[in-house]
Amino acid sequence: MTLLIGSLELGLLYGIMVMGIYLSFRILNVPDLTAEGSFTLGLAASAVATASGHPAAGLFLAALAGGMAGLVTGFLQTRLLIHPVLAGILTMSGLYSVNMFVLGGTPNLTLLGKTTLFGAVQAAFPGMDKEAARLLVSGLFSLCCAGLMSVFFKTRLGLCIRATGDNEAMVRASSINVSATKMTALAISNALIALCGGIIAQYQSFADINSGVGILVVGLASVIIGEALFGRRSVTRGFFSAIAGSVIYRYIIALATKTNFFPAYMLRLLSAVIVGIALALPALRLLREQGALRRKHAA
Amino acid sequence: MLEIKKVSKCFGRGTANEHQALSGLELHLLRGDFVTVLGSNGAGKSTLFNIICGTVQPDEGRILLDGKDITFQPEHRRALQIGRIFQDPMMGTAPSLTIEENLALAYSKQKKRSFSFAVSAGERNDFRERLAAFGMELENRMQTRVGTLSGGQRQVVTLLMATLVPPKLLLLDEHTAALDPATAEKVMRITNEIVNENRITTMMITHNMDQALVTGNRTIMMDGGGILFDISQKEREGLTAAALVELYAEHKKQSFSNDRMLLH
Repeated sequence: MTLLIGSLELGLLYGIMVMGIYLSFRILNVPDLTAEGSFTLGLAASAVATASGHPAAGLFLAALAGGMAGLVTGFLQTRLLIHPVLAGILTMSGLYSVNMFVLGGTPNLTLLGKTTLFGAVQAAFPGMDKEAARLLVSGLFSLCCAGLMSVFFKTRLGLCIRATGDNEAMVRASSINVSATKMTALAISNALIALCGGIIAQYQSFADINSGVGILVVGLASVIIGEALFGRRSVTRGFFSAIAGSVIYRYIIALATKTNFFPAYMLRLLSAVIVGIALALPALRLLREQGALRRKHAA
Repeated sequence: MLEIKKVSKCFGRGTANEHQALSGLELHLLRGDFVTVLGSNGAGKSTLFNIICGTVQPDEGRILLDGKDITFQPEHRRALQIGRIFQDPMMGTAPSLTIEENLALAYSKQKKRSFSFAVSAGERNDFRERLAAFGMELENRMQTRVGTLSGGQRQVVTLLMATLVPPKLLLLDEHTAALDPATAEKVMRITNEIVNENRITTMMITHNMDQALVTGNRTIMMDGGGILFDISQKEREGLTAAALVELYAEHKKQSFSNDRMLLH
């Protein structure tokens, strides 16, 4: 039971990060590796603020810091014309030092005994059970973010970002500054990812410099699981299925650890394989069609 | 209206592939002019359009639109006043956005409020009415993704997008060349309607000589990065495609002998 609810909470929380990945990967059509660094950046910023007694401000700082990391990547991509993947790698590598600096030179920080947002909510509603408070906060955060994003992508600026990922030349011809839209999109994406890191730090009362490693593949796998189940028809649907994908991903982890079907450390490989297969689907389909055609001719 | 003053552009200067795309080109358009542009491949037609739009910077020369020097204005700023449609129907629209969203994006050129909703109810009706006027039955498919439309339908949407807020200058780069003859004719009819109704100054590149002679009020023939001849109104009336080819050969010979004279 604890495992079931715990996985749901984690899924909802990590869903915020998955929305960020969905934004850069699907809407903007650019794989953004900044995620690995900005997740930890948010985690570190939030942990340090919580340690000094400001959990709410910590989340705000986390999102702000993540947004700035996204702006750096966007600047490298659009103004300095560095390849998008390389630009993300550069920011991500640089962020390792920044994150270490934020954490005060130590690779990890514990928040045991400090008041986190989850603790504060539980204290605010006497009689509320610890897990209920956690579930409430997780659900509220992820659904609010998804709702906010859905509305944002119906505004003019949101429409510009969607069109930029779709047909850049046309957006430029519509008198829209493509560099600015791309930078805005990357800032929002990384703000979501860092906000997620920030909440996770308070959720687990612990921050570690290596928390962000592999987060991109986890995010991509969740996006793909979500799309496989709920389709990719509209952007609104996309954001909500990002959360659903993330929850399902956590249940797969829970299942794996519970049944000892395979050791937990194999999960990263499984994620990579899932993402690899999903991305290869169009090519595999083509191969199959060609094969069928060849057999037909041979017969 | 549009003044192009002594514009030159050379690609790959100093390399084996050096190509003088435009050399000292001069062109003046009056308000309301509809100019058809002819010329063989490599004559510099597309480079001319690219320079007017700001996709390519000229090596020399100036471009003035409505008396304002726009030579160094970035592309997206110029796009406020210049509409452009390409040959490839895929280039003018965003495939995963709906018809309505594509139109809204083009319409919002003039609006600067980033956080307002992209499509309002009034605009939705306006878009629907304008699409209905084309008789392509697109008005009932406002929520359809543009990627699922045919090339001709996409080009009509692009055309409406480019003229929803009437631009000062409209550039058509062989915009019917990729369409089947019947659709091409339809798109051309709609083009004429829109241009005449809004009195938009227009330039249209085409390889179809008959079309070039009956469309608009002026025809220019480009060659070797310059304008070989420029005919309008009376001169153009009654001219046939065959006569045009003759005119081309005549001018070509003339410029050839001029070049020879320069060399000696």
